[in-house]
Amino acid sequence: MVRPTRFLQLVLACLAPAASAQAPGAAGGPGLALRTSKALICAPDADARQVQDHAWITVKDGKIEAVTSVHDGGPPEGYEVLDVGSNWVMPGIVELHCHEGGTYDINDLVYLANPGLRANSAVINRNDRLLRGLAAGVTTVLFIPGSGANIGGAGVLFKTGPKRYEEALVREAGSLKLAQWGNPESWTIGVGMSFENWNTRNTFRRGLAYAKRWDDFEAGRGPEPRFDPQWQLFRRIATGEVPISTHTQVYQVVLMTITMIKIELGLNVFLDHSTIGGWLAGGLAQEYGVPAIVGPRSVDPATRGMIEWARNGHEGFRGVAAGYQEMGLEQIGFNTDSPVLPQEGLPLQAAMGVRYGFRDDRLQAVRGLTVVPAMTAGVADRIGSLTPGADADMIVISGHPADPRSHVELSFIDGERSYEPDVEGRIY
Amino acid sequence: MKLLKMLPFLSTALVGLAWFGAPAHAYALQDDEAEAEDEEAEDEDESDAWYAIVGGDVYTGTGAVLRGATVLSKNGKIKEIGHDLFLPEGTEKLDARGMRVYPGLVALSASSRLTKGLFQAEPEPDFDPHLGVDNLHPDGRANAHLDTGNEEYDEVADIPTDADVLVEGQLLRQEIADSFDPFSQYLVLALSTGITTAEQSDTPVKLKRDEIKDVDMGPKNVYSLNFSLSNPNSRRQTREKLEKASDYLRRMKAWEAEGDKDKKEPSKKGVDMNYVRVLRGEVFAAFNANDREELLDIAHLAQRYRFRPVINGCMEGWTVASELGRAGAYAIVTPRTRSPKSEELVRPGGSSIENAAILHSHGVQVAVIPGNTSFELNGMTGRDLLHLPVEAGFAIRGGLDERAALDSITTIPARILGVDHRVGTLEAGKDMDAIITDGDLLHYQTFVQYTVVDGKLVYDKEEEIFFAHIRPRPELPALDPGEEPGEAEAVVDEEAPADEDAEEEAPPESEDDDEGEGADDQGAGEDDDGRL
Repeated sequence: MVRPTRFLQLVLACLAPAASAQAPGAAGGPGLALRTSKALICAPDADARQVQDHAWITVKDGKIEAVTSVHDGGPPEGYEVLDVGSNWVMPGIVELHCHEGGTYDINDLVYLANPGLRANSAVINRNDRLLRGLAAGVTTVLFIPGSGANIGGAGVLFKTGPKRYEEALVREAGSLKLAQWGNPESWTIGVGMSFENWNTRNTFRRGLAYAKRWDDFEAGRGPEPRFDPQWQLFRRIATGEVPISTHTQVYQVVLMTITMIKIELGLNVFLDHSTIGGWLAGGLAQEYGVPAIVGPRSVDPATRGMIEWARNGHEGFRGVAAGYQEMGLEQIGFNTDSPVLPQEGLPLQAAMGVRYGFRDDRLQAVRGLTVVPAMTAGVADRIGSLTPGADADMIVISGHPADPRSHVELSFIDGERSYEPDVEGRIY
Repeated sequence: MKLLKMLPFLSTALVGLAWFGAPAHAYALQDDEAEAEDEEAEDEDESDAWYAIVGGDVYTGTGAVLRGATVLSKNGKIKEIGHDLFLPEGTEKLDARGMRVYPGLVALSASSRLTKGLFQAEPEPDFDPHLGVDNLHPDGRANAHLDTGNEEYDEVADIPTDADVLVEGQLLRQEIADSFDPFSQYLVLALSTGITTAEQSDTPVKLKRDEIKDVDMGPKNVYSLNFSLSNPNSRRQTREKLEKASDYLRRMKAWEAEGDKDKKEPSKKGVDMNYVRVLRGEVFAAFNANDREELLDIAHLAQRYRFRPVINGCMEGWTVASELGRAGAYAIVTPRTRSPKSEELVRPGGSSIENAAILHSHGVQVAVIPGNTSFELNGMTGRDLLHLPVEAGFAIRGGLDERAALDSITTIPARILGVDHRVGTLEAGKDMDAIITDGDLLHYQTFVQYTVVDGKLVYDKEEEIFFAHIRPRPELPALDPGEEPGEAEAVVDEEAPADEDAEEEAPPESEDDDEGEGADDQGAGEDDDGRL
């Protein structure tokens, strides 16, 4: 049944298409105030308030204004009120390892290193697979090249809901995809790990040298270098703005990721996958501030082959996220590597993390789906939390987001309704 | 002393007074006394194995939830469920205080690795043991066409046909008993999930550990029919065979009504007796179907010939749920099935997370299986047999109520396998297959702490390598096995001053009070089934 207010909105939307841009909460529209029984704030600072029970969430011009207790007074005058009852409201979920953002031709296997390749040319906005993700609460994805080559190219960070690329874009260079161990060594005749490590160092050093030549030129210390699109991204990598998302797994290789990319080259890097015994390097990762975004594997299972491969000496089902946590790493998030696991399976990754031993006593599971990946990608000022000034990417959900039994009732992106099951039907 | 302990039983049998002061050895009276007393005498047998799961919140699967109750079994069969039960001397006790007790889960379409162990190769999903060749030989042997002329070799090389399996009823069952690996680690993994009965090669198998006695629970309960739109020839054959079987049953009925023994029994010529069994309701007719048109056709076929279909897949069932409900269908669904509807179609279609809920609300009996009915040992979790309750959780996401979700992995699969008189719920007389969990079975964090099959402990989380390191089970103050239950409880009261324990282990009250309490508990249980 269409409620009168919704009906009126629909009529208005039909009569004047421009009216939808003026929806409450959206840019240029009146303010929106959500009343919820529980707001999961997910503030970047883990010691700040993470949850507000019985809250007003006010949204204006597509941004979060404030999250306040209902006991501290009502919303400002003129705001449209939406009471979501017993449902919870939380920031949109952030996926840092997605291959379902568009076409699948994202492995260029001619060269072993393609730092100039960009996944953004393959994006298909609001495609069916992304829409299923959105229906599970995933509002932002890092769509990255595959791991067929050593250095796959630049990923793109964009929102799943909007239909236009420009509206959806969060950052055009989301990350540079580096792959260590597990796929690229089989490139053509199989280059092996030694050559891979040489190639990675060599490529990064050349890229950083290119960035330095431009910096020198701009500081008046040298001649103008030739513009080279193959290396251009390194100017933003050198400043730390664009992280290196590293397909890495197995303890020794995770060690190599940390020692080479972080310690030796001094770059902003995060561990992607980072499974199969990689958690043993969790202490070093914490020491050097390297986050781990784990998945699609969530355990090192108790098979002889896996135990010998992982060398973690553990015969049980060893939870990967739990392992990193035990080693002291604080920044732990989750991924699906979609379509390896479907995009809508991301919240379940957190559930499986918790099932296999990840402590969730301080909202770690929810943070690992939201603000931790946002901080890892360097965009926590915009997405991943309900802090004032952040984009109003919110999901209204019937319970804990990790629980398979909870379902998304409504999604907002930039303050606008982006997935409405009671209008378009339940997708997930 | 022993006799005094028996009193609660005797009073229920209304012979308590008659027994007072009777000879100490009850079996002495066996021949002289009434049948009820016979039973009591049996209870006394020293060789009887008594097993009790004590103090847990018992989710019987019938709707009743009994807080802090005891499930008592004798020789593998549930004897009684309730509060303050009398536990005969020598009863083995499993302390379930603070935990929940559920019926063992029933897994349909489970991987044959489960009972055949590590070295059993996983068959190809579409593997046809007959290699696509129908019976070419009049004796019905599937690969008779491959005969070499050497009889010894040909016999060994033969593969039983479906017809052999069903009609003879023995061939495949023999095979399961022979190939069951009671030490398989896959078996232990299944038990760790709470699965105690599994479908193996279409037949129900009890997952016993360290023994193979009685693992085979009976013949196959379904007969597969093909009514696929993509195979018009099979459709025609299926319809013809149903027609002939139906005609045969009509003639048979007329012959029986006539009662003329001299008249010849109706001819079975051209009648496929498997179809007769389907129409007689002796076995279910099983279909693989996902497409809406096919599902509608099956519903109409089932109503016309009056049989109950079991539909595997049933992806678009939510679009024709009322027809399937009217046909009395069973559906075996995977809630997370992901298949968009064909863009050529205007009508609703494709997969829906609400499928299980919509089917259930129209009276279809819904069983849930995960997308992967084997064990995923590559590290990706949450979608295989190890996470069967998680899959039922996704049915709840789509709107199925929690009670129906529990049924979908217990009693409804048991019905499909034809073993619901033995497993699927916790009721007196049924098999003592129970699981003890550290929380709501359908919550993702919950682990099975113990699994009991036929009144024997077959899995203890703390004793196996797989999950013992994850949230180790806290120790409870001992239930003293040497004391009478009443005394033991008193001891527990002293040692565990926590409110909960005190309440659970309250001293016995009169029977009337107990009943009242039980009723309250049921009410509370219903509330609990809402959401957590």
